[in-house]
Amino acid sequence: MRSAQGRGRTLDEAVDAALIELQESRRNVDVKILSETSEETLVEVAVIDQSAPAIGAAPAAPNGKAEIARSLVEGLLKHMGVRAQVSVRTGADPITLDISGRDLGGLIGWRGETLRALQSVTNVMVGKHLAEGERIIVDVERYRQRREHTVREIAMRAARQVKMTGDAITLDAMQPFERRAIHLALEGDPDVTSSSIGEEPERRVVVGPRKPADESAVR
Amino acid sequence: MPGRDPQRGAERIRKAIALVNSVADEAGDEEITPTEIAEAIRDCLELSDVDAVPNVRRYLGEALDAVSDGMPADFVAMTLYAALGALREGT
Repeated sequence: MRSAQGRGRTLDEAVDAALIELQESRRNVDVKILSETSEETLVEVAVIDQSAPAIGAAPAAPNGKAEIARSLVEGLLKHMGVRAQVSVRTGADPITLDISGRDLGGLIGWRGETLRALQSVTNVMVGKHLAEGERIIVDVERYRQRREHTVREIAMRAARQVKMTGDAITLDAMQPFERRAIHLALEGDPDVTSSSIGEEPERRVVVGPRKPADESAVR
Repeated sequence: MPGRDPQRGAERIRKAIALVNSVADEAGDEEITPTEIAEAIRDCLELSDVDAVPNVRRYLGEALDAVSDGMPADFVAMTLYAALGALREGT
């Protein structure tokens, strides 16, 4: 995986420095804050999933379940009249199918609703080939991956602010996979904690300072 | 039909879908019981739009049965998406 470190007075400056070195855009990278003082921020910026096949590239080595899922989704899209390529993302766990093509916004839908529905249908179709608890993730034009990356950045920013002010921050309402990405991004941070409040579909993550009593608390 | 509000119907179905997706996606920040999902689906069934638009009640009923039968979350979600789609098409 390609990565570079960047320094700057602010997080943005540090990330920009690393992006220039990598010659990548912000949407294709993952940012990890290595150190942060009032004068300087040091980050490590890694390019996301370079192993994933590009559009038109040869598909991944056949894996029984993944290949069945890929073939079923390809057939489904054909019936829907959608011209798109379906490939299996290499090295991804759980099995992830990437759908790529032109004008696939309709396949993503409002806040990813159509994509989520497509994933449900896929899992129902492939269900009998999967072990208990095993799932297939469907992504269209890396929408889901980009969203996860974006919310992780939001989580990092919120964590920085919480550390500076000591006040909890309530984020916007998010989908379950986005909330999960935030909890995972912050679970190793000794200074902040994350929890969720509200009811679906308005459930929100709250990022707050970790108090000594939180150490043993269950999320 | 007086009192019809397709938007409210869609919102309730989306709420039920969001609950089911929380289970399927394992957000890890809440415990959702089948009873809560069934309650959310029953809330949808109370709306007048359910009878005004063909198939919506049928799909919601199937989703409720699927919850009772312990079917996988994705199956319940798929059936609820079908109800949402039917509601959209019929309004």
